[in-house]
Amino acid sequence: MSVTRAWAWLIALTATSTAVAAIGLSGRWLALVVLALAWAKAELILNRYLHLAQAPNIARGFALGLALFMLALTSLAVAIP
Amino acid sequence: MKYQTQKIALAYFVVAMALFAVQVTMGLVLGWIYISPNFLSEILPFNVGRMLHTNSLIVWLLLGFFGAAYYLIPEEAEREIHSPKLAWLQLAIFVIGTAGVVVTYLFNLFDGNWLLGNEGREFIEQPRWVKVGIVVAALIFLYNISMTVLAGRKTAITNILLLGLWGLALLFLFAFVNPDNLALDKMYWWYIVHLWVEGTWELVMASILAFLMLKLTGVDREVVEKWLYVIAALALFSGILGTGHHYYWIGTPGYWQWIGSIFSSFEVAPFFAMMSFAFVMVWKGRRDHPNKAALLWSLGCATLAFFGAGVWGFLHTLHGVNYYSHGTQITAAHGHLAFYGAYVCLNLAIITYALPHLLGRDPYNQVLNMVSFWLMSGGVVFMTFTLTFAGTIQTHLQRVNGEGYMDVQDQLWLFYAMRFGSGVAVVLGAVLFIYAVLVPRREIIERGASQPAE
Amino acid sequence: MTTPQASVLDDLPGDLMMWVLILSELAVFGAGLMGFLAVRLTDPPGFAEAQAHLHSTGAGINTLVLVTSGWLAALALEAARAGRRARLRALLAGAALLGGVFLFLKAQEYADLWAAGLTFESHAFYTFHMLLTGFHAAHVLAGILLLGLVGWLATPRAVEAGAAFWHMVDLVWVLLFPVVYLI
Repeated sequence: MSVTRAWAWLIALTATSTAVAAIGLSGRWLALVVLALAWAKAELILNRYLHLAQAPNIARGFALGLALFMLALTSLAVAIP
Repeated sequence: MKYQTQKIALAYFVVAMALFAVQVTMGLVLGWIYISPNFLSEILPFNVGRMLHTNSLIVWLLLGFFGAAYYLIPEEAEREIHSPKLAWLQLAIFVIGTAGVVVTYLFNLFDGNWLLGNEGREFIEQPRWVKVGIVVAALIFLYNISMTVLAGRKTAITNILLLGLWGLALLFLFAFVNPDNLALDKMYWWYIVHLWVEGTWELVMASILAFLMLKLTGVDREVVEKWLYVIAALALFSGILGTGHHYYWIGTPGYWQWIGSIFSSFEVAPFFAMMSFAFVMVWKGRRDHPNKAALLWSLGCATLAFFGAGVWGFLHTLHGVNYYSHGTQITAAHGHLAFYGAYVCLNLAIITYALPHLLGRDPYNQVLNMVSFWLMSGGVVFMTFTLTFAGTIQTHLQRVNGEGYMDVQDQLWLFYAMRFGSGVAVVLGAVLFIYAVLVPRREIIERGASQPAE
Repeated sequence: MTTPQASVLDDLPGDLMMWVLILSELAVFGAGLMGFLAVRLTDPPGFAEAQAHLHSTGAGINTLVLVTSGWLAALALEAARAGRRARLRALLAGAALLGGVFLFLKAQEYADLWAAGLTFESHAFYTFHMLLTGFHAAHVLAGILLLGLVGWLATPRAVEAGAAFWHMVDLVWVLLFPVVYLI
């Protein structure tokens, strides 16, 4: 994937985040959707902008760390009473 | 020993070890005062004894660093020290200054005098004239080693060592900043106390450890340097803003609680990296260096520093925990193991490595030296545990249940008694170490004939 | 045994020290974001009320600005590798300019909060908001200076390091934005 295509994806994902907030989604569902979108954006930046895609072993390490982090964030975000 | 001026290190190491003996002896006296609080209360008040215990520690560690620099810089830079005369002058200033502090405090001389009187600021108690002396001596030292390095080969080890030592000296200038406002005074005060032991000293530690690993394990310099830069970066990244963990309750704004908690939590990273570094180097190393005691001290240093500074530091660094635990024996437990692991062991490692070369003997008397390692380390670790338990109980009784300070102290007596016992072990270990590196000339156990493996 | 073993670190795209920095920064911001969401659990209505005072649209636009700026920086690295100096400098200038736009929008948010009398101490939400976005903005500023420096040096190695820092700033923002502004 070229950096330009990665950029187009990032724009699309950002627009989607804004759109789901704009259509009035809120609470836990909003958190789930926008955090998932942020996760995808973070992976794109790591793999395409920072070129981790060239180093699959390292990319896997980062992906694991990011996954655990997103899991923690999501748990804290949806734990709201 | 390749360079004549490395001999300078010998004098520094000997003075350092003499002060080490004073430091641990004073520690033993203080440990006894905890058990029997009126002991010596007329002639050596607790606060003065404590000052002697902490200040002699700092001074001997610094002298050890200076000695280490005078020892390793000629080898790294591949040339003689710029001016041996200046090095002797520097040592003389330190000795006179140290004696001045001791005499001033023991006899409470010149009370209130701007230049000669005691300053009474924890850890930087030195009368002002001594502080000036320290700065002058530090400048002489920096001039001397910088000139040596500039004229010679520049390596990562000397770069990081110089960075640490320059930072250390410049930060000491905050000893002259003494605002009337106590909160401000403490704020600047931590620029020295914290940014020394959790910043610049870590750089010194990493570079000396790197030198030892290079010599003892024979791993390629390139590999050692890569580790060294990573460790230095981690130390500065976490340590500088980690200062915030001292700003929780001294009147500084509330956001320091989060800055301090987050950054200081990562202060465990450089210590973990140093421990990994030491062990990985030994595993990868191809050299079977005869000085096993130096290797033992180096590995012990990296490991105990990780636990003392890293783990025991993290234990009470989060502000939610520290709200209850600050200023209890938990702090004392952390302080003892951190200083011992990170800086005492480091100095004893470089002394163990360097003295055989400096005295012109083969690595000798490994056994006594190694016994002293286990005796001293066992003592300090035991002390750390007793103080940690004491601190846990103290935190609960005093901070959670709200009992009075002295009522709680009475209930901690058993732990203080056990701590005194471990203190005896430490003092014996220290004496044994000094004897082992200075006196015997022959091996106690001869090396077996070496055979190729397999 | 005696041959130096290849390390997985040799595969890292770019300088090892830059990756140490990136990882450290991610760890710090990550801890901050988790702290934020953890403290939010103690006062959800207060956090929701405080969040309503932020410019979430402005922050959304800032996401677009920053990822576009990151794209320009990534293209600049390709130009640097192709030896096209004028192009790489123009692209880095564009990236830095968008960084300036980001800071401008950010400053407006701070100014409005300030005008409404909302500071660090007003509520735990603002303590975190200002610490996290403030630290981030400081990195944007540092990144702009760094882009200027590597544009002046114009070597592939320098541009790679500068761009990597800039992408880290980008990465932190895409994680920070939903947590602080949206949810």
